Amino acid sequence: MQKINRNVVLALLSLTSLIFLLFQLCYYKFYLSQKNGAAFSKVRGSQSGQDSTRWHVVRKFLGLISSHNIPVYLIDPLILGLVDKDIEQIRSSPNGPSPECKYFCAPRDFTTFALLDKTWKHEVGLFRTAEKMGFQWLKIINKDPRLDGMDDLSGMEIPLHYIFKLASHAIHLVVFYERSGNFLWHGPLRLKQHMDRKFVPFRKLHFGRYPGAYEKPELLLVSIDDLKVQIPKNPSSFLEEMSHSRFLECRYREARAFFQLYPDDASLDAVEFRKKAKSLLHLAALTLNNLGVKFWLSSGTCLGWYRQCNVIPHSKDVDLGIFIRDYKADIIPAFKNAGLPLKHKFGKVEDSLELSFQGEDDVKLDIFFFYEEDDHIWNGGTQAKSGKKFKYLFPKFTLCWTEFVELKVHVPCETLQYVEANYGPEWKVPVKAWDWKSSPFNVQDNGVWPIDEWDNVIQIY
Amino acid sequence: MEEWKPNPTVKPHKKRSWYLAWKYKLMNQRALRKLCQTGAVLFLLVTVIVNIKLILDTRRAAYEEEEESAQDYDDEMLNVEVPRHPVNNKKVLDVEVYSSRSKVYVAVDGTTVLEDEAREQGRGIHVIVLNQATGHVMAKRVFDTYSPHEDEAMVLFLNMVARGRILIFTIKDEGSFHLKETAKNVLKSLGSQVAPFLSWRDMWTFVGKKGGEVYGEKHAKSPALSTWGDPVLLKTEVHLTSVEDAECHWPDTELNRRRKRFCSKVEGYGSVCSCKDPTPIEFNPDPLKDNKVFDVPVAVIAGNRPNYLYRMLRSLLSAQGVNPQMITVFIDGYYEEPMDVVELFGLSGIQHTPISIKNARVSQHYKASLTATFNLFPDAKFAVVLEEDLDISVDFFSFLSQSIHLLEEDDSLYCISAWNDQGYEHTAEDPSLLYRVETMPGLGWVLRKSLYKDELEPKWPTPEKLWDWDMWMRMPEQRKGRECIIPDISRSYHFGIVGLNMNGYFHEAYFKKHKFNTVPNVQLKNVESLRKDNYETEIHRLLGEAEVLDHSKNPCEDSFVPDTEGKVYVMFIRMEQEADFTTWTQLAKCLHIWDLDVRGNHKGLWRLFRKRNHFLVVGVPASPYSSKKPSLVTPIYMEPPAKEEGAVAVPAVAAAEQT
Repeated sequence: MQKINRNVVLALLSLTSLIFLLFQLCYYKFYLSQKNGAAFSKVRGSQSGQDSTRWHVVRKFLGLISSHNIPVYLIDPLILGLVDKDIEQIRSSPNGPSPECKYFCAPRDFTTFALLDKTWKHEVGLFRTAEKMGFQWLKIINKDPRLDGMDDLSGMEIPLHYIFKLASHAIHLVVFYERSGNFLWHGPLRLKQHMDRKFVPFRKLHFGRYPGAYEKPELLLVSIDDLKVQIPKNPSSFLEEMSHSRFLECRYREARAFFQLYPDDASLDAVEFRKKAKSLLHLAALTLNNLGVKFWLSSGTCLGWYRQCNVIPHSKDVDLGIFIRDYKADIIPAFKNAGLPLKHKFGKVEDSLELSFQGEDDVKLDIFFFYEEDDHIWNGGTQAKSGKKFKYLFPKFTLCWTEFVELKVHVPCETLQYVEANYGPEWKVPVKAWDWKSSPFNVQDNGVWPIDEWDNVIQIY
Repeated sequence: MEEWKPNPTVKPHKKRSWYLAWKYKLMNQRALRKLCQTGAVLFLLVTVIVNIKLILDTRRAAYEEEEESAQDYDDEMLNVEVPRHPVNNKKVLDVEVYSSRSKVYVAVDGTTVLEDEAREQGRGIHVIVLNQATGHVMAKRVFDTYSPHEDEAMVLFLNMVARGRILIFTIKDEGSFHLKETAKNVLKSLGSQVAPFLSWRDMWTFVGKKGGEVYGEKHAKSPALSTWGDPVLLKTEVHLTSVEDAECHWPDTELNRRRKRFCSKVEGYGSVCSCKDPTPIEFNPDPLKDNKVFDVPVAVIAGNRPNYLYRMLRSLLSAQGVNPQMITVFIDGYYEEPMDVVELFGLSGIQHTPISIKNARVSQHYKASLTATFNLFPDAKFAVVLEEDLDISVDFFSFLSQSIHLLEEDDSLYCISAWNDQGYEHTAEDPSLLYRVETMPGLGWVLRKSLYKDELEPKWPTPEKLWDWDMWMRMPEQRKGRECIIPDISRSYHFGIVGLNMNGYFHEAYFKKHKFNTVPNVQLKNVESLRKDNYETEIHRLLGEAEVLDHSKNPCEDSFVPDTEGKVYVMFIRMEQEADFTTWTQLAKCLHIWDLDVRGNHKGLWRLFRKRNHFLVVGVPASPYSSKKPSLVTPIYMEPPAKEEGAVAVPAVAAAEQT
C-alpha cells in the first residue's frame, strides 16, 4: 500500500470527525427534544415557552380540582420561597393583576399541592375529567398507618400521593391525613413493582422521601400570577417546618412481637400508671411547646416508644431530653404554673443540668439537658448525697417526629443507636430493677461537684 | 493507515509525483504546516472528548431513568404481587357431587368447594351457585328441609338466583320431610326429574343451569324407613359460556361498575343484580338541616352474615342525614362476601383477624373496631356503633342530632341508644319522647370518645376473660351510676335470627314485636328535660299529675288500665331494696316485655305505654319516688313462678343477647 502523506490523512480525519461531530450534535438535540426535557432539565433553556407551560399546567390543574370542589393548597417549597419574599405585597392586594409571571413560571419540574384527605370523597370522576383534559396521572397507595398499631386489622390501602403529568410539567398532590395527636401526616412515596419508574423523575420530588408530620396550617387565599390559590398563611414558617418534618412510625410489628414474648401488664396499677404518665406527658408537651422549647422522648420513655409503642408500666417517671442551647429560665416557672412544681434541680446550665418536676401521685417528670460535643452528645447525672457526677454518652442524633400516646412528639431519628447507647444490646429484655447510676450502658463517672458549689448544683425541694 | 505514526516531528516521506508541486510550496512554510497539523490533532482530540462525553451523558440519562425512583422510592417490601395465574381459558368444568347420610361434598375441577361431614349439622339440601362463565362459587347455602319453612327459604333463594347460573344440589342425611309441593315444583322447573318424587331419606344430587340444560342427576332411594339410600356420586361436565353472556348490560357508570363487580362474584341478593331493572345502590336521602352528627364516625360491627349486612347498609344509607364517608364497616374475620357488600355500596371496610373464641372474640372485635374508629377520625368526639343485624330508622341521625349535645354536656350520661328494651308494639307510643335509663341497651348507640379512651379502652376485658363486651359495659365498675338516653320508640330494629346468642324462637319472643319508628323528621319533645336535674323535675311533675291505678286488680289483666287515651297512670310494686326485682320481673313477663334481666329502669321507676296511656311503675320502698305513693295503697307483690315454669332453657342461654 502506498504511503499517504500524513497531512492528507490528518485533513481527511478532521473532515470525518467534523461530520461525525455534527451528526452527533444533531442526534443529541433530537434525543433531548424527544424526552420533552423532563429528564434533562439542565439543558432546558429558560425559553418563555417552557415557562408558560408550567403556568398553563398549574392553571389547568386548579381548574380541574375546583370543578370537583376539592380544596387543595400550595406547598411547593420553590414557589412558596418566592412568594415569601413578596408576602406583604401579596397579602395586601389579594386580587391585583400581576404584570409578569413571577412565581408559577419559575423553572422547576413539579408544582406541589396538598390535599386534606377528609375534605374530599375519592370520586373517580376527577380522574376521568383529568384524562379528558390531557393529564396522565399516577396514584400511589399504601397501608393505612392509623391501623398499623392495631392488632390484626387490615383495611383498604389509602392514597398517599397523586401525580398529574401534562406536557413537560407535573403536579404532585400530597394527601395529608389527620392523626391522633392533632397533626397532619403524609406518607412516603414508594413505588410498587409494576409502576412506571419513568413516569416523572421521582427523585426530584420535594415530598415523599420520608413520611412527614405537620401542624394543621392556617390557609390564605391569594392571587398570584393571576391564579387564585390557597397557600399557608405564613409561608416561611411552613418552609421551616418542612425542613424538619420527617416522621417515624412506631415499630408496631416489633412491639407486637415483644408483647408475645413478654405479655403486657394489664393490672389496675399498670393501667393507672399509664393513664397518669400519658396525662403528664400531655401537660409537659403543652407547656414546653408554649415556650417554644424543642424536646424529645428520652431514656425509659423513649425505650417504651421504641420497644413497645407504649409507656412501660413499671417505669416510675416520664423522661424528656432538651438541648442545652434551647434552655430557657422560664421553664421552671412555666411548669409550676402548669401544676408541676420543681422537685429537684441538679447541675447548672454550664454543666450536667437536670430538672425534676413532681407530677400527680408520685409520677415524676425528668428533664435531662444534652450537651453537644464534636463527636458525641452527653447529659449529666448527680447523686444527691455524695455529690458524685455521672455522664451519659450518646452518638450524635437528629430529631424526628412521631406519634405517641396521642401526641406528636420528637424522638431521636437514630433511635436504635440512642437506645442501644443507653441500654446496651440487651435493650429488648425488660429490666425491672433499674439503677440510674450503674444500669445504663453509657454511664461514666464524671468526678464530684466541689463542695462549695453543692448549694447551687444540688437543690432538692 | 496502519503505518501512521502520530508524531509530527517525523521527517517527511519520499516525494510523490502528483503531489510534488504543492508539497514544495508548503515546504517553505513549515510553520504554517505545523500549525495545521496541530490544529487537526487538537480537533481530533476535541471530537474524542465530545464523543466520550456524549456516551457518558446518554448512559447516565438512561441509568438515571432506570434508577430514578429505584433507590429511595422503592417499596421496601418484597414483591407482594403474586403473579396472576394464567387466565383459565378452559371451556369445560368437571363437577363431582356426593350425597350421603353423613357426608356431602362438591368438587369443581378437582377443587373441593363444599365438604361437610360434621355430625349433627348440615342436614338438608345444600345448594351451590356457580358463575357460568368463570366457574367461581357465588353462593353456598344449606336448607334444612327436614324442618318446616326451610323449603320456603330455599324457593325464595332459588328465585333470586339469576338465569344462566349453574346450580348444584346435594342432600345430606334427610331433605324431604318438609319439602313441600311448591319447592318440588321449583326444582322440577329447573329440570330435575327426581325432585317431585323425593322421599324420606333419599340421597340425591343434581347439577343444572337455571333456565337451561341439565348436566346430571343421580338419586338413590331409601329402601326402608329406618335406613338411608346408598351414597350417590355424580360426575359430570359443565360447559362454560363467555363472560359477556354471563353479565348484564347496564349503562357504564361508576355505580354500575361496582354493581357488575359485585354481581359477577356473589348470588342471592335479588334485584340488585337484576339486568332489567336493578334496585339502586345509591340512595341520596334528604340531608338534615343543622346536622350535628354529620361528622360523627359510624362503626358498623359485622361478622360473616353478608345478607344481613346488605340489608343493614341499605337502611343505614337511606337514613336522612347519613354521611357515607364517615362509615366504616369492621368485619370480624377474612370473609370475602361481607367485603363485597361493603364495596358494592362504595364504603370502606376493615377486616379483623379473629382473636379468641365466641363472646370474647366479639368483644375483642369491638375493641379493635372502636380503637380503629377513633384512630381514623382523630377529631371525633363521639362514635356511633351499629351492628350488622339492625335496621336503621329513617330519622336515626335526626334523633341523634337533636340529642347529642346532652352527651357532650351532661357528665351523668353514659350513652345515647337508639333502642328501647321495653319498646314493644303494645308498650311504646310516642316517637318524640325520650327517657333516661340506668341500663345500657346497645343496638345502635353513641359512645363518647373520652369515655372510651380514658376509661374503657385501657381496661377492656382481655381475650382470655371470655366476657361479653356489653355485659361488661353494664357492670357497675364501668357504668359508675351513669345513665343512657333512649327513645320511647326505638330507632333501630333487631332483625337478626342467626347469631351467637340468637335463634328463631328467641327472636320471635323478644324482638319481633319490637316497635320501630318509620316516621321521618320527628321533632323530639323537650330535650332539655333529659338533663340530670331537669329529669327529676320532669318525673315529679309526671307523678304529680298521674292517676293512681286500682291496686286491687290484677296488673296483668288488660282491664287494669282504663280504656282511655293520652292519660298518665301510676302503679306501685314491691321492691325491698335497689336490687329487688322480683315483682318487676313477673310484671314484665305478663306484659310480654323484656324480662330476662332488668332493663329500662331509672331509680326504681319504669316508664312505658299501655293502651296509649303513659304507664309508670314505681318500686316501693326502694325508689326515691315512693313518697308519691298514697298511704292507703299497698304495693303489688307478685310471686315468682314455681321451678318448672322458670326453667326455660332458651332464654337462659340467650340472656346475654343484645349484641
